[in-house]
Order: sequence, then C-alpha cells, then structure tokens
Amino acid sequence: MLRSLSTTFGARRRKALGFGLAVAIAATGLAACGGGTSSADDSGTVSFFSWDPQKTMQPLIDEFQKENPTIKVQFSWAPPVAQYISALQTRLRSGTAADVFIITAENKVQIMDGKLAKDLSKESFMPNLAQAAKDTYTKDGAVYGVATSSWGGGILYNKDLLAKVGFSQPPQTWDEFLALCKKLKDAGITPFLEAVDGIPVTVAALVGLQNKQLGGTMDAQIWAGKQSFSSTWTQPLTMWDQLFSQGIETRSAAGLTGDQVSQEFEKGTVAMTSTGSWALGGIKTAAPKLNIGFMAVPGQSGTYWAGAVSPGYAINAKTKHQAAAEKFVTFLQSRTAVETYQKTTASITTTADYTPTLDPALSDMATAVRAGNFYLPQTSWVNNSDALNTEAIALLQQLAQGKSSPQQAAAGLDAKLKSLNG
Amino acid sequence: MDRLRERGAISLFLLPIAAVLVLLFLIPLAQSVYYSFTDYDGYSATAHYVGLRNYATAFTDSSMFGSLTFTMIYAVSTTLVITVLAIPLAVVLNRRFAGRNFVRSVFFFPAVPSAAILGLVWTFILNPLGSGVVNSVLHAIAGIGPVPWLSDDRLAQMSVIGVAVWAGTGWHAVLYLAYLQSIPAEYYEVATIDGASSAQMFRSITLPLLTPAMTVSTLLLLTGGLKVYDLPFTLTKGGPGFATHTITQSIIENGIAQGRVGQASALAVLFLIVVGLVVLAQLFIARRVEGRYS
Repeated sequence: MLRSLSTTFGARRRKALGFGLAVAIAATGLAACGGGTSSADDSGTVSFFSWDPQKTMQPLIDEFQKENPTIKVQFSWAPPVAQYISALQTRLRSGTAADVFIITAENKVQIMDGKLAKDLSKESFMPNLAQAAKDTYTKDGAVYGVATSSWGGGILYNKDLLAKVGFSQPPQTWDEFLALCKKLKDAGITPFLEAVDGIPVTVAALVGLQNKQLGGTMDAQIWAGKQSFSSTWTQPLTMWDQLFSQGIETRSAAGLTGDQVSQEFEKGTVAMTSTGSWALGGIKTAAPKLNIGFMAVPGQSGTYWAGAVSPGYAINAKTKHQAAAEKFVTFLQSRTAVETYQKTTASITTTADYTPTLDPALSDMATAVRAGNFYLPQTSWVNNSDALNTEAIALLQQLAQGKSSPQQAAAGLDAKLKSLNG
Repeated sequence: MDRLRERGAISLFLLPIAAVLVLLFLIPLAQSVYYSFTDYDGYSATAHYVGLRNYATAFTDSSMFGSLTFTMIYAVSTTLVITVLAIPLAVVLNRRFAGRNFVRSVFFFPAVPSAAILGLVWTFILNPLGSGVVNSVLHAIAGIGPVPWLSDDRLAQMSVIGVAVWAGTGWHAVLYLAYLQSIPAEYYEVATIDGASSAQMFRSITLPLLTPAMTVSTLLLLTGGLKVYDLPFTLTKGGPGFATHTITQSIIENGIAQGRVGQASALAVLFLIVVGLVVLAQLFIARRVEGRYS
C-alpha cells in the first residue's frame, strides 16, 4: 500500500515537474519574443516609436510605404509625456529602442549628452528645417532631432465680451492690459483666468521679453553664473503678481487645471485666458459660436509669444537599419509628410517648403512662430528642465495664493538650480 | 531517502515563489541600493559613485521634506478616520433591515473604480470656482462664496484625505463585517440576559473580538497610505505648491521624468526604511492590543 502510494505520488510529482518545466520553457520563449518587439531583424523594416497616436501617423506611414515598397514601418506608440519618456528610457537602456523615436524637451538633454541618437547635421534636408527647430536639438554642432512644427501661446480673447468695453486694438503694454482687465471687471465680466498647473503662458512670454532684451542668451547667462533667476525673473513675476494683488484674477487659479479654465472660457463667462495654439481646435469644437482671437502677451518693452519647438524625430544611435531609418526621417520632413501631418493635427508647421493654411485666429501668432520669435523656459533651460519646471509650478502656485513674493519665487528657482547643479 | 526526496519536492514547489521574490523584489532592491550611491540617469550605460550625496539631498530638499510630511499625515489620518468610521458602519450593516444588501453595495461601491478615476471625478466636484459642484450647492443653499477646495494648502490636503476616507470606509467596513459575522451570537444572548446595554456589549464583546480585523485593516491602510500616488496626483497633481505632494510622486518624478535615478533610488531606500519602521511599530502595538483582549 505504502509502495503503491509512493509510486502514485512519484508519478504525479514527475507529471507536475514535467508540466512546470513545460510552463517554464513556454514562458522563456514568450519572454524572448516579447523582448525583441522594438528591434526588427529584417533590413527592409524600420521600427518607429511614436509620440503621436497611430491614427495621426498611419497616413504618413502609408504614404512612405507607397513611395518605398521595400521598407516596412513597424509602429509602436506610448502617450506623452511621462509614459513615453519612461518607455523610451527603458528601451534605450536595454538596447531594444526603435530605429526612429521622438526626442523632446523632457529627454533631449540625456539623449544628446549620451549621444543616444545619431547626428543628423550632415543630412541634405537640414536647410528645410527652421533655425529654431535645429537650435532646440543641437549640442556641440550635432543635430539630434528633426522637428517640423512649433506651437505658440498667447492670450485668447472673446471678441464679443471685449467689444462691450470698447476694445478695438490688442493692448501693447502691460499697463494697457491691466486697464482693459479693470474695465471688464467694472462691467461685471470676469476679465482673465488662467491655470497655474504649468508655467502659465503669460509668465513664459513676459520672461521671453527679458530673454529678448538679453539677446536671447538669458538662460545661458544664468547657467554661467552671469545672471540669476532673481535678476531676470523678479520683474516679470512682479507684473504677473499684479493680476492677483489687483483682484483681476482669482487666487483660486493656483488649483485650477487647463481643462477647467477652457470650460469657463467656452461658456462665455471669461473674457480672456492664456493658452497655446494646440487648444484652439478643441475650444472651437466645444463652442463653435464663440467669436475669438489670439493676442501676444504685452509687456513693458513690447509684446511677445510663448511657445516652443515641437518634439522631433531622432534616429537611434544603435540602429541596425540606418539607411532605412534615414529614408524614413527624410520622408517625415518632406512636403508630402508635413502637409499630411498638418491636416490631421492643425499644427503650425515650420519647414521651408510648405506653408500651412491656418485658422485666421492664429495668423499673427503663426508669423511669429515660423520666425522663431517665442520663448518657453522649460525648453530653453540648459539642463534639469523637468526638475526646475516642477519647482517653478509649485513656486508660482504659492505666489498666486499670496503665500510668497515675486522675489521669493525667483530666489526659490535659484536655490533649486544650485541644488541640482551642485 | 524518501524524506530526502520529499524535501527535494518541497524545495522544487517553493522554487517559483523564490524566483519571483528574487527577480521582482530582491534584485530590484539591490539595484536601488546600488544606484542610490551613484549619479545614474536612467539612460547612460555608466554610473559614477557619488557617496551619500543623494541621501543628503533627500534630507535638505524642501519639496522632499514636504512630500514626506504630507505622506505621513495622509497615511495616519486616513488610517484613523477610516477605522473610526468603518467599525460602527460594519456594526450597522450587520443588523437586519430592509434593503441591507443594497446598502452594503452602496457603501462598498466607491472602492470599485480606480483611485485615478475617483480623483478626476472629484476634481470636477471640488472645482474651486463658483461653477464647481460643491460650491454651486453651497451657494444655492447657504449663499456661501466659492470655497477654494483645491487651491488652498490646508483645504487641498483635507480634500485629498476626505476623498480617500469616502472611497475606503465601505471596503474596510466589509472587512470588519466578515469578522463580525464570525462572533458567536451566544455571547450577545448571554450578555443580554445579564442586562448589558448595547454600548457595554460593543465595548466588551464586539471591539475585543474585532482586534484581529483591526490589525489587518490598519496594516493595509498604513501601507497603502504610505505608498499613495494615484489619488493625490489626479486630484491636485501634488499642489498647490507641494501641499499634497507624496513620496511616491517624488520617486516617480525624479526617477522617470527628471532622469535622476540615483536620487530617486536614495529616496526609495529611505522610504523603504521608514515604511518598515512604521509597519513594525504598527504590528507591535496591534499585537499588544490583541494580547490584552484575548
């Protein structure tokens, strides 16, 4: 009986072990398949890890494959920003990154410093790219990204509400802007509302004016120790703080999201808000009858736009399909591809061989953006832009709440930069 | 020989879980400890030894101190408030009344959707403008002006904790309910014959016999509260300022978005030590309480 039980147990054990081994082998096989998804073996295949969804990129891929029938594009996608950065980071580290991927403000320093993308400065299509686009992804003369569009940000206004207080021309100075806001407030209209869940467009544009006065080298001078955030940001922040100290904007802006502000503007209860060109399509869809326009942010020495170069296409430095990858990136900046992309995204494209037809509300902004006259701190900072951005948002929220002064906010950025750069 | 085979078989059966422990816990933990002494950025193949610099930054950075403070406040207050509310709720839900199962479902429901979805819904409800749901109701009923729920440091912290309590109380009440149903009815019958009041029965029978459930519930609440990320992030993104910033958010932001894996690893190691100490203290206290009543 005991022998019989032992034999049965032994047989069961062997079966269980056999099953376990089979599962382990199958799992190993699956893991091996999973690990190789981003890197293609076929020399006629180029893998592409996109920031835009497949719906946006598929028409471009179809057109490319039509022009290059021997090359197949293997598409993968992760939503921006954190998820994309995280996935790309993991793949680059493990050597499984796609042949072509997206370089952007949030990862460009690491990619350029580590030379994780190929230098494209010798490519024949370089003259087709806007200077600002090339500058954004250039380090030590090497160009690591191909950006075909930019976005601008300014003050979006409700023409009908502004007409009630005799508005005829966009204000040219900050004082004129404050005067317009006061007129609106006196008329019982909420004059201005913007979210402080990021660095507001108004702050970016006002700091951009400071940068312009310093010949466009403000951030380089801050990092070199010749300037500081205290010496360059205090004045713009003092101006921005007037919106709260003079009761023009509610201090609740410190806890608002961009979506909440857009909804208020769409309802027609807010006369002006600050946002980027990318928001126009959504606002027009939600409130098609709203009569709106975009104006530059007025400062003390003129007006200026916020904005930045959009993410660019980069070629993996370790690609085994360089020729196919170069062909694909060359295509992505071509007139055909840019025109197709622009029709899907309504973005302000900046390549030389194609001028997009844009919404009339964007005409002034588009001229400035295509000329590179815009500024965004996060993309202009020399390094640690994400850490500084997080700190800046927190400091601006405290300023909006009235819990700190412009001097303290600027000094807080200096302290953060010092701690980051040792 | 058979005993040896038996041991071998047991070892083989333990192999998968040991592999999981080594692969998914011990190796990442060792990597984190290693990276915490380096300047590793998550991209480059090399990492340079920086000594204790990352640990020093964790102690001197005001945002990280703020994150630690709010995380502790969140973990302790949600544990206390949910426990205080869930036990009486479980006692009520244990009684017989019409529609009892429906009421149990209603209280349990907030635990079903993910915390991220709850955060987004409550962002809409607690909108600090006059058009926010709560503010509209307050204005209509009492004529109170817009309350800056998510725009003021203290109110934002209270809002995050309030939503967490709302979402978690029903789930923990169901946990207590399961333990309540295992208390023999005879205890209450004897106490009733002896003339004990409801309050006396609750204090002398229900509460002591619920102490094992309290150990489990408070342990889950404390560990969940210490590693919280999704609810505060979706509700306030950690703001205003760093008022609702959590340790996990700091680790994720440093490690992924900011490419400072070394710094994030140092934070994670410190956090592991803090969580370990808190959990040990909680278990020590819970065991003593259980011992006193058993």
